[in-house]
Amino acid sequence: MTLTQKKSNQKKTGKEKTLLLGFPGSGLIGTFAVSYIISRLQMDMVGEITHPDMLPTVFVENGEVIGPIRIYKKDGLYAVIADIPIHPDVASEFVASLADYCKKEGIGKVIVPSGINTEGPDQKDIRTYGLATDESLERLLYYNDIPKFLSGSIMGTDATVIMTLRSLKVPLLMLYTTCHPYFPDPQASVSAIESIAKVLKINVDTADIQKRVDYLRIQNRNLMQETLEALYPQEKHVPSKAPPIYR
Amino acid sequence: MRINWFDIEYSRLPLLHLDDDFEQKILHPLSCIREHESKWVLEFDLPLVDKRDITVSVDADGMLVVEAKLKETFEDHKGGEQHQFEYFKKSMTLPKNADTKKITARFADGRLAITIPKAFQGSPVKVE
Repeated sequence: MTLTQKKSNQKKTGKEKTLLLGFPGSGLIGTFAVSYIISRLQMDMVGEITHPDMLPTVFVENGEVIGPIRIYKKDGLYAVIADIPIHPDVASEFVASLADYCKKEGIGKVIVPSGINTEGPDQKDIRTYGLATDESLERLLYYNDIPKFLSGSIMGTDATVIMTLRSLKVPLLMLYTTCHPYFPDPQASVSAIESIAKVLKINVDTADIQKRVDYLRIQNRNLMQETLEALYPQEKHVPSKAPPIYR
Repeated sequence: MRINWFDIEYSRLPLLHLDDDFEQKILHPLSCIREHESKWVLEFDLPLVDKRDITVSVDADGMLVVEAKLKETFEDHKGGEQHQFEYFKKSMTLPKNADTKKITARFADGRLAITIPKAFQGSPVKVE
């Protein structure tokens, strides 16, 4: 895992530094929410993250090449956004390198918006739940009226993020928003954005994303499909060498 | 450098591999299927579509076809080229034991849910 930092952060601010982490998952909630906040707050790109085991991908923006996983910063707020799925096989190393970065930069907490599956097509009641690995972040949930994620199972990259940051003692707040698990769900990500804004005590106008919900759903079909393929790979049939009686 | 990720002009690579038809201006919608004891629920993501502009049909070969006209032209920019799309279309083969006469469909929030009941096959086994 290589982390290329384009600008170092030596300037100390009074406020505790926070890192937002967004990567493709259920409903692409993390990608939509963090990208939108980066865009609205006009955060500056300060670095990129690469890994030799990730499918080599670059994006081109106005003829300029940019990497798929980037670091942004504005004042005491950092954001890492992945525009490609983080395969569970490399997630552990990816998160460990982020934990190193947090310690180096003096970042006090990590907030990760993500999605939880909602059964059925009706999503009238979109809600965001919080899961904290630190007591101070539990209080943050309480003071901001964000209900706690009480029970359920978490698998894949999200589970790696939780386990790795917890073991490395980096305070983590997961914000889980109910969403469609297999389709891009920018409408649900609005709830995630509002919860992040509450926790960070910042204003983020969500009018722009709400206007573009339909377009974002069409534009992000590929990323959704790639994410599902990465997170739920089809089991390959491996011929058994056992004799027929044991098959 | 600042990236407006939400800008519709934003060019993402790699290029589409969802079988979008540039010539016919047809987008390939995302879909998923959930199997229940007595039915399948097939879902299609159809944003930018009105209910009245959706057609669902089953042809003689047992192929389910979903077509929808977009409310407005969707423009996409890939690799310096501009493409316009006006429709969604996707076809899929129904399972053999689908009860095709009892298929129902519901459209809400830009998502089409098609319920396909399973036809009962075989004979009951007596439990002693």
